[in-house]
Amino acid sequence: MGYRWLSFNFSYSMGTLGGIMKKGFRETSKKGGIPWLIQRISAVIIFVIIMIHFVTYHLLSEGAFKWDKVVSKMKSPWFNLMQFLLLCTVLYHGLNGVWMVVEDYIHIKGLRLFLFSLIIVVGISLFFVGVLTIIKVSNFNLEILRAGVIK
Amino acid sequence: MYKKTRIFDLNYYKFTGSWAWILHRLSGLALIFYLTLHIWVINTLTKGPDKFNNVMDFLNSPIFKFLEVGLWGVILFHAFNGVRIIIIDFFKGAISHKKIFYIFIIIAFVLWVIGGYRLISHIQWVH
Repeated sequence: MGYRWLSFNFSYSMGTLGGIMKKGFRETSKKGGIPWLIQRISAVIIFVIIMIHFVTYHLLSEGAFKWDKVVSKMKSPWFNLMQFLLLCTVLYHGLNGVWMVVEDYIHIKGLRLFLFSLIIVVGISLFFVGVLTIIKVSNFNLEILRAGVIK
Repeated sequence: MYKKTRIFDLNYYKFTGSWAWILHRLSGLALIFYLTLHIWVINTLTKGPDKFNNVMDFLNSPIFKFLEVGLWGVILFHAFNGVRIIIIDFFKGAISHKKIFYIFIIIAFVLWVIGGYRLISHIQWVH
């Protein structure tokens, strides 16, 4: 009873995307095992990173954010890697959560297809916006570093 | 065939787990809405110092600071209720899930008061 995860039957799990591709948006109870597990694993990662993120950015900072401060904070590649990991896990966790809500209440096939596509499009767009922010800010830091070396 | 789910079945309103479930769901939807705005706003970092500082000055006003206090509360509720769900799913949490819920709510409330006090005390009332 306490170790349900050991007896979990992974043969039922096709994953959200795979299950939808194969079953054509029909509702079944035989999918969603892998997303269920990833939802929990990503939750643990998010719990740790978001506490660091919120405390350092929102609670310990005073007054309005300044561009120089925020950019200089993103000098370390390890910090940026953490931000990237947070972006990936939060987007998966959040959008899979929205899809779970849709699965509970929406039973019209066309509407499910539309909402699923919308979730995928929003997810990919937000991923690219976030990744481009991280990469461009890292480039700003490189430029600042180079300018300092030349001077 | 599926069983039609009501948005919130009032037959179960008296149970702790039912409230935890619906609040977890609502807080999650609120957080994904915030996340969309957050990624969009932080993208102004790439548009140079002036634009970013203007946006951040606008967001430093008292109303957004109070919204930030609410955000901190929603994050804490979702996070600690999520830990409760993991304890129920992977450990023997189902036996005492109500007790765990109340303990975590108290922890989250204490952290909310501490963080909220910090946020409110940093409000710049006059620009």
